[in-house]
Amino acid sequence: MNKRIVSAALAAVAALSLSSCGGKAEKLYLFNWMYYIPEDVIEDFTKETGIQVVVDAYASNEEMYNKIVAGGSGYDIVVPSGDYVSIMIAEGLLEPIDKALVPNLANVDPAAIARIGFDKGNRYSVPFMMAAAGVSVNKTRVSGYEHSWSVFDRADLKGRMTMLDDMREVLGAALKSLGYSVNDPDPAHVEEARLVVERWKPNLVKFDAESFSKGFAAGEFWVVQGYAENVFIEYPEDRRGEVDFFFPKEGTPMYMDSFCVMKGAKNAAQAHKFIDYMLRPDIAARVSDYLMLPSPNVPGRLLMKVKPNYSFDDLANSEFKEDLGQETLKLYNDAWRRIRVGN
Amino acid sequence: MKRSPGRAGAAGGAGSPGGLYAAPSLFWLTVFFLAPLAIIVAYSFLTPGPRGGVEWKPTLDAYRAIANPSFARVTLNTIVVAIGATAVTMLIAVPCGYYMARSSRQTLLLMLVMIPFWTNFLIRIYAWIAILGNEGFLNDLLIATGLARQSVRFLYNRGAVMLVLVYTYLPYAILPLYSTIDKFDFSLLEAARDLGASKLGAINKVLLPNIKGGILTAFLFTFIPIFGAYAVPLLVGGTDSYMLGNLIADELTKSRDWPLASAISLVITLVTTMGVLLLLRANGTSVLGGSGDGEKPVPEASSAAAYGAQAIGGSR
Amino acid sequence: MRKRSSFSKAVFIGTIVFLSLPLLVLVLYSFNESKSGSWTGFSLRWYVKLFTDSPQLWRAFGNSVIVALSSALVATMIGTLGAVAVNWYKFRLRKYLRTITFLPMILPEIIIGVSLLVFFSGIGLKLSLFTVFVAHVSFNLPFVFLLVLARLEEFDFSIIEAARDLGASETQTLLKVILPISMPGIISGFLTAVTLSLEDFVITFFVTGPGATTLPLYVYSAIRFGVSPVINALSVVMILGTVALTWSTRNFLKYIAAK
Repeated sequence: MNKRIVSAALAAVAALSLSSCGGKAEKLYLFNWMYYIPEDVIEDFTKETGIQVVVDAYASNEEMYNKIVAGGSGYDIVVPSGDYVSIMIAEGLLEPIDKALVPNLANVDPAAIARIGFDKGNRYSVPFMMAAAGVSVNKTRVSGYEHSWSVFDRADLKGRMTMLDDMREVLGAALKSLGYSVNDPDPAHVEEARLVVERWKPNLVKFDAESFSKGFAAGEFWVVQGYAENVFIEYPEDRRGEVDFFFPKEGTPMYMDSFCVMKGAKNAAQAHKFIDYMLRPDIAARVSDYLMLPSPNVPGRLLMKVKPNYSFDDLANSEFKEDLGQETLKLYNDAWRRIRVGN
Repeated sequence: MKRSPGRAGAAGGAGSPGGLYAAPSLFWLTVFFLAPLAIIVAYSFLTPGPRGGVEWKPTLDAYRAIANPSFARVTLNTIVVAIGATAVTMLIAVPCGYYMARSSRQTLLLMLVMIPFWTNFLIRIYAWIAILGNEGFLNDLLIATGLARQSVRFLYNRGAVMLVLVYTYLPYAILPLYSTIDKFDFSLLEAARDLGASKLGAINKVLLPNIKGGILTAFLFTFIPIFGAYAVPLLVGGTDSYMLGNLIADELTKSRDWPLASAISLVITLVTTMGVLLLLRANGTSVLGGSGDGEKPVPEASSAAAYGAQAIGGSR
Repeated sequence: MRKRSSFSKAVFIGTIVFLSLPLLVLVLYSFNESKSGSWTGFSLRWYVKLFTDSPQLWRAFGNSVIVALSSALVATMIGTLGAVAVNWYKFRLRKYLRTITFLPMILPEIIIGVSLLVFFSGIGLKLSLFTVFVAHVSFNLPFVFLLVLARLEEFDFSIIEAARDLGASETQTLLKVILPISMPGIISGFLTAVTLSLEDFVITFFVTGPGATTLPLYVYSAIRFGVSPVINALSVVMILGTVALTWSTRNFLKYIAAK
């Protein structure tokens, strides 16, 4: 009796592991921001190349980086923001890009490439999107506000506002609201910024980088700091006019998210194929249409059917997040911890 | 415990296969449970690595950070939520267990308690989001009946966290209570009543002492997971319901201060273990009708746990 | 008696309503036509999507089944032997074994998850479905151990002695005497392990790696972002699945016990 049960279970396990490894299909492990690439674009890639793409999602650079450092290094492609590209280069976590395999790199706007300080010459990274988190307001609920970070001071909206669960974005917003750089290393300025966030905090429901857009779409939250694409993808299409998305006039942190190939990636060839595919004008246009974001892909822009929710000109007042260096990073980490633990 | 294992009659000495049989368990739990805990202890005294991990420079920084008053708020919040949710759970679970044990349709009642309990943990949390959300069931109902003109925000506060925690762990408390009460000889209660005890008096003097073991098991199986809660406050909590579990996870997965995450984990581990041992000791040998033959608390605790495991896992 | 239990009856009925209501709401919403919260009409579209157009979900399901069966199998084999040893034999680390089979059960899951993550990272083991498997064996083992032990405690050592007297070797005693009598404990241990493994979120969350998404992790990400009500339909299917599974398990156990 026992033998039969055990052998049946063994057989089941064997069958399952076989079926899961089944065949010699080429694979690609992609660790990407949530909401960043529509499913059908990935499906089409699989149809064209036969390469299966396994996608896992993250909601902040820190989350991605820590998974990698803690042993989740089996990914082939990651999509860090600029500051993390330089951190990961310094840590030796990235494989140089073989540009011969990415001819479509030529499609990327030279003006965007010129702004890159984190990886000059794109030795390790291929630009994907240049954007910034802003503020979304539900106009049916909130009126009489300025396009300023000061909206988070409004006690009458207490319990209806959220900010990102992302240290750099939140402290960056506070630093900008004070007129400082988002990369300010001065401890006094970071402390001032912390106090600003502490002032906002009683009005916030939560720090959330993942489900804020669902809550916003459901009318749960009325003012959210976050990415325009998340907000508009979740918002019912016929009511998108109710949303006011803006970049506060004091300025915002911004980022260039880039494709990087992980050091020692098992599927480096497939990874390059995928990156090149993503930079193809038609694909770049589809992605930007889906995200409703401006495309850094010059020929791709011409193919877009949807008007982006903002243009690169709107980012004139924004500043790239850069690697802070260990000392300053600790400063920011400590400030962010104090914000989280104090009620 | 029917017979005290390892005593009279047990085979031992040379040629006994006991060590051989025990070897895989010993190996597995030493390597994949105890060693990781030991690493946590070690890491808590080290310096955080600049990019995660640790540097092998001993320091008490992590413990200094915990001693900082700003941490006290998280700890306090965790304790308040854990005690509150456990108390509510127990207050509901005792009468429920009592009613089930007294019922003539036990199988049916057991099924009614178990079906929600079999449902995946996250699905149960999700169900509450679907009820309490802005466009959720409750708000639809309130607006449809005219009790509210605008949606009320129920989610993302401490109340929501407590509610979902009670919901999640209620069956963990009901089941062990039910099985202990079920074994209680109710004629004792009637005898006490016949001797002139009031209803409450009889319950107090006769029933409660006899089901102490069940109450203890129920308490442990509720309080401990709530004390270490992570997912519930993350999904239905707000800035006012940040708990120690969230702090550990954030330090480990975002701020990458592994020593601090380790130190907080160690504190939770010690508090939990000490609490369990103290409770078991205070209850002495009466836990689950232990034989009182001077066994050390640990084996008794394990029989309490086995009991819970049976109540929870075995009856699934 | 009837009258006296009216208070507990009221509490019990209230509790059942409290416990079932959320699930009934999920069932209701799974048939909702609309994508957003409010009710707009009856539809089976989410069920259709669940079964025909949710490849990631089914891959997660496959991962869950692989981990559940393999970890339960290993935990059952190891845990059963451990229980036999503790119940009937003397050996040097007996007390230690009892302690380390007890400790994982009283520690909050997050502690086990965090310590395993730190451990895997420390020894340089890459996170994958394998690390998830290892973690699941670790938390399943104590449950199997205790369930089998509880069964063994019902028997006297004399049956082992009887087997010996009849000339059985140690191996024969184990296979012909000990395993058959502990079978109900072994089976309920195995099933408990499968269920705990299918259910686990917190520990898996920490030790999972590239592509090693299990069903609870999938549900988690679906709650967090970008879902359609497919998750409602999935919940209903999962509820029905567990009810059916448990129902047949119970009858199977009864059948075994009766045999």
